[in-house]
Amino acid sequence: MAEVTFRSVSKQYDGDGPKAVDSLDLDIKDGEFMVLVGPSGCGKSTALRMIAGLEEVTDGELLIGDRLVNNVPPGDRDIAMVFQNYALYPHMTVRENIGFALEVAKVKKPEIKARTEEAAEMLGLMDYLDRLPKALSGGQRQRVAMGRAIVRSPQVFLMDEPLSNLDAKLRVQMRSEIIQIQKRLDTTMVYVTHDQIEAMTMGHRVAVMRLGVLQQVADPQELYQRPANLFVAAFIGSPAMNLINVMLGGTAERPTASFAGHTLAIDPQAVERYPQIAGRIGSSVILGLRPEHFSMDGDFDLPADQTVEFEIDLAEAMGAEAHLHITLDVPVVELDGAPVIAEDGGDVSTSTTSVIARIDGIHFVRSGDVVKLGVKTHLAHFFDPDTGLPLS
Amino acid sequence: MSVRRKGPRATIVRVFTYLSLVSVAVVVIFPFVVAFATSTKNNQDIFNYPPTLIPQEPQTVDATELLLPDGVDVSDESLPLFTFPGSSTRFALVDNDISVAEFRPLDDLDRVIRLDVSSGDKTGDVVTIDGDEEDVFVIEVDGTTIEAYRSRLTSGGRFVSLDDPADERVELVNLVEPVQQFGPRLENFEEVLIDKNLGRSLTNTVLVTIVVVSGQIVTSILGGYAFARIKFKGRGPLFLLYLGSVMVPFVVLIIPLFQLMLQVGWLDNLSALIIPFMFSAYGTFLMRQFFISIPVEIEEAALLDNASRWKILWRIMVPLARPAIATLATFGFLYAWNSFFWPLVIINSGNPDGRVLSLALSTLGGRSSTDLNLVFAGAMIAMTPPILVFLFAQRYFVENSASSGLK
Repeated sequence: MAEVTFRSVSKQYDGDGPKAVDSLDLDIKDGEFMVLVGPSGCGKSTALRMIAGLEEVTDGELLIGDRLVNNVPPGDRDIAMVFQNYALYPHMTVRENIGFALEVAKVKKPEIKARTEEAAEMLGLMDYLDRLPKALSGGQRQRVAMGRAIVRSPQVFLMDEPLSNLDAKLRVQMRSEIIQIQKRLDTTMVYVTHDQIEAMTMGHRVAVMRLGVLQQVADPQELYQRPANLFVAAFIGSPAMNLINVMLGGTAERPTASFAGHTLAIDPQAVERYPQIAGRIGSSVILGLRPEHFSMDGDFDLPADQTVEFEIDLAEAMGAEAHLHITLDVPVVELDGAPVIAEDGGDVSTSTTSVIARIDGIHFVRSGDVVKLGVKTHLAHFFDPDTGLPLS
Repeated sequence: MSVRRKGPRATIVRVFTYLSLVSVAVVVIFPFVVAFATSTKNNQDIFNYPPTLIPQEPQTVDATELLLPDGVDVSDESLPLFTFPGSSTRFALVDNDISVAEFRPLDDLDRVIRLDVSSGDKTGDVVTIDGDEEDVFVIEVDGTTIEAYRSRLTSGGRFVSLDDPADERVELVNLVEPVQQFGPRLENFEEVLIDKNLGRSLTNTVLVTIVVVSGQIVTSILGGYAFARIKFKGRGPLFLLYLGSVMVPFVVLIIPLFQLMLQVGWLDNLSALIIPFMFSAYGTFLMRQFFISIPVEIEEAALLDNASRWKILWRIMVPLARPAIATLATFGFLYAWNSFFWPLVIINSGNPDGRVLSLALSTLGGRSSTDLNLVFAGAMIAMTPPILVFLFAQRYFVENSASSGLK
């Protein structure tokens, strides 16, 4: 078991091309479950493959434990990796797949057998030991890939989107199994995913990356409640945080946010958390409201100036809750000249902003209705439209 | 298995499909059947008319089992059997070379009666036939006496019926029908291998083929893997050069290669058939393409398992590349086995011990082409290994398990 340390690590594929990973500083503690998350092309897989030694470090220092591993070949790093497509050896049985690393290490046959079976036992693979990978289901192949990693008792586990090839139900099940295995083995785990739900549910800490740059490292709660910038705010959470271009008005004690003909009073608690608001009266900022910050009028004791009437484009009843889709006549929030990536893709027009409100499922709302929604502005987030940083 | 369509239309289509396929198959297979049949025939049967597909030999009877009439002395132990036209009774030819007299009855000059030369008594009368004077004989045919003259003396055979030893006839051998029975002559193969020295050529060919094929496989695996997965300077241009050499026809290379062999001193030497052909640009290309198609993650996983390049190649890549290796081995085998022109050029001193099968076969056909059965026997021997190899290797052509370990 060991910690993994990135010290200003960069990766550049071409001599003068863009950096896939740009000056990454990250301390992964011993026994920690660290999730690297971000959209595709953010450098998370490259970072993982650098730990594995499958990619060379262009610049900076990478340490496993106290050892500088920049030039250590993959096999000598004492790490194990689970690949997205599992990369099982197709011509070997499950037993041979799991035992291959031990065989290479010239471990004695009886010990290979014992350790292989121990790993298989842990993963419930005892009945499949003599099968070939092609005779296994997706979930079973995933377990074999896990078994191949576990059997070596490595210093660090690396997982590259291991669940993305499984169906939804199996994914949930394997998610908890991986958490339990990590807890049981207490081995440092670096887990790459593009799925922020996996990141939130599995990681002790989550590192959000974008375009090769680390955005924020924090535990899931912190990440959700105090995003370090606009990107993290937009990326973490499902449905995503609603980001709206608003104009600040009112007074420094009781500011308001105006957008698309609506005016919303901002709770003093928010002003306390985002003190820069006071200095920005009369200028444009970005208001961040999570879907659950909306409620049906009357559900919570919110003052009248924190309620707004909206026309509902689409009402999705999910049972326990309902999602109300609202279109606001406000230009969409942009980050680096492009719309902030929304959970469901960027097919929306840029001249209007889509908002999703999540209300209690007890209410009956139909598409086309006009309803009054309360807004918990004391939980709202505020960001600078130019830098994308919070107004704190 | 695809879903079968139903209905009368589909049935008709299917019947026609099968009919046309079967007829093409028959046309293709027929020469092989003829070759095989001929290879098992004896050297009389190959010239029999009409020709048959089933090898035949004359039916014989053991002389000691035959009840022979008195006075018939048998020198051969087994006697060939014949039938007379219009009858199925089998007769044994007990004497092949006796004097036969042909008589023509005076009242029916077109009829010919053939008898032993000692039969018939002169009456002393004389008749004139076509201007010649002929003695009149009294002969006995089927218990009646006939006056006839002796038109000709010739030689023929004496035949004894198997059913009735008393039924003894004299007839010209070429006028009776030999009785044939199924009789393959498997000694052809032995004869062609030993007497015609084809065994030595077979050994040479087997040796050359095994060394060439295994050499090609090993060098192609090493080269293909390097081109597929190891980054080195000039990899791209070098590979293009390799590919380009595939497109140079062999005829262009014959003279330079001959010069080279002459310099090295490998004329008339099997080395000249082996060494230049152990390296295959085509094989390297084939293996490279296959190795590239193996997901790189499998190799990375092995790398993380601390396997060396060498171990990854032989434990992971090569087992996965079995279909490609089988393909390469089959093509290499067929090429090495059938190659004719290069051996003809390089094994040229007429030293039969250096010959390969294709060469030996062509001289066999040229020198003793009347022994068609032996030529075909040699051809069958030369043909069998490639067919077997193809039958065993063909399942690899369709099998590709490389991606089955993935999702």
